Amino acid sequence: MTDLSRRDFLKLARAGFLWISSGLALGGLFRFLDYEPNPAPKTEFDLGPTGQFPLGSHTVLFDPPAILFHTKSGFSALSLTCTHLGCTLEQTADGFTCPCHASHFDADGNVTHGPASQSLRKLQVQITAENHVIVYLD
Amino acid sequence: MRPSFFHHLHPPTIPAAQARWRHTLSAGGTAVFLMLILGVTGVLEMFYYIPNPEEAALSVQTITYHVPFGGFIRNLHYWSAQLLLIVSAIHLLRVVFTAAYASPRRFNYLLGLGLFILAIMLDFTGYILRWDVDICWPLTTGTNLLKTIPFIGNFFFRIAVGGGEACETALLRLYTWHIFGLTIPLVIIGIWHAFRVRRDGGIAVPPPALRSDKARLPRNELVRREVLMLFIVGILLILLSTFVPAPIAPAMIGKPSPDAETRAPWFFLWVQQMLKWGDPFIFGVLIPFGILVILALIPYIFPKPADSDIGTWFPKSNRLAQIVVSIIALIVIMLTLMTFIP
Repeated sequence: MTDLSRRDFLKLARAGFLWISSGLALGGLFRFLDYEPNPAPKTEFDLGPTGQFPLGSHTVLFDPPAILFHTKSGFSALSLTCTHLGCTLEQTADGFTCPCHASHFDADGNVTHGPASQSLRKLQVQITAENHVIVYLD
Repeated sequence: MRPSFFHHLHPPTIPAAQARWRHTLSAGGTAVFLMLILGVTGVLEMFYYIPNPEEAALSVQTITYHVPFGGFIRNLHYWSAQLLLIVSAIHLLRVVFTAAYASPRRFNYLLGLGLFILAIMLDFTGYILRWDVDICWPLTTGTNLLKTIPFIGNFFFRIAVGGGEACETALLRLYTWHIFGLTIPLVIIGIWHAFRVRRDGGIAVPPPALRSDKARLPRNELVRREVLMLFIVGILLILLSTFVPAPIAPAMIGKPSPDAETRAPWFFLWVQQMLKWGDPFIFGVLIPFGILVILALIPYIFPKPADSDIGTWFPKSNRLAQIVVSIIALIVIMLTLMTFIP
C-alpha cells in the first residue's frame, strides 16, 4: 500500500468534492431545463360536418396542415407537413412542393424529389355519430 | 493615476506597423463598439418587449411605430447585429491571413471563435423574437434540425425550445437564451478575449529582434484612431438605421400560411442551400460542425507559422491555413449566392 500524506489526501478529497458536486449540479441543471412546461400539441381536430366535404372533393386544410379526400371508399387524409424538416407543403399541379428545401411529393404522398426521404404520413380519419369529420395527427 | 482595464488595453506605446488600419482592419475594436450599442439598444427594447406568443409581435410593432425613436432604436439594434457578424468574420479572416493565431495566441483564437458562434446564435434568437409570420418556417426547420442529432437531439431540442411545436412555444425559452443564456457568456468571454489580447503581447507582431519597422505608436494616437473609427462606424449605423428599416411582418396568430417567408436569415442561407441536397443531419449539422472543428484546429495541427511571419499579411509559412479558410469562405459565399438562383 502506498503512503498517502495528509496533504495529498486533502488535495484529492477537495478535487473529488469539486468534480462530483459540479457534475451533480450540471446534471440537475440539465434535468431542470429538460422539463416540458407546455401541454402536448393538439392531435385531434374536428373539421365539422361531413356535408362540407362532398363526394369526390379534396380539401387542403390549414390547421392541421393536411389534405382531406372524400372518395367512394370514404374519407382519408394526408399530412402536408414535410417529412424533411417540418414546413407546410404547397399544392402544385402534380402533387406537393416544400417551399423550404424544395422536396416534392406526388399526389399520393410519395417522394418524387428529395431532400425528403419518407413519404407523407397518412392520417387517421373518423366520422363521429354526429357525422363530424375528425382527423388525428397521431 | 491608478492603471485601469482601459490602460491594460492601451499600453503607453505599441508597435506602429501592426496598429495600422490596413493591418487590423479595425475589426476587433469595431466589434466591441457594436456590442456596446447592442447592449444599450437591447436594454431599451426590453422596456417594451413582451415575451409572450400572443403579444410579442404586437409589442415589436409598438416599439417600431409608436414609441418615440423606437423604430430607430430597433433599427440600430438590428443593423449593429448584422454588422457584428460581418465584422467578426472579417476579424477571423484577418487573424488567419496574418498568422496571428500562432502560439501564444492559440487559446485566445479559440475564445474568439466561441464569441463568433455566440454572436451567430444571438442573431438567430433575436430574429426569432420578432415572432411574426415570417419567422415560423426558419424557426421550425432550425429547431427540427436539432432533433436529427442521434441520441441527444431531442434533449437539445427541449433545452432550446422547451418541447412541443416550436412556433407555438419556443418564444419564452429563446427570449431567455437571447437576453441571459447567450449574452452573459458573450460578455464574459468577450472581456476575457480583450484581456488576453494584451496578455499575449498585444496585436500579433514578430518578436522584437525580427521586426523591420521599429516605430512605436503612443497611446493618445491609438485612442485618436479608435475614436475616428468609432465615428465612421457610428455614422454608417445612423445612416443605415435612418434609411433602411429592420424587417417586420404581421403578427403570427396560429400557424402561418405556407406562403410566409421560407428563406433562412441571411447568415444561414448557406446551410439552407445544403439542406436541399439530402440528409438533414449530414448537411445541416455535421458539415457546419465539421467546418467549426477545422477552424478550431488551425492553430493546433496546421504547420506553425514562422516567428518572422506573425502579424504580416499572407505569409508563406501559413499558406495551408490561408488556402483552407479561403476555400471555406468561398464555399459559404457561393452557397449563399446559390439561394438567389430561382
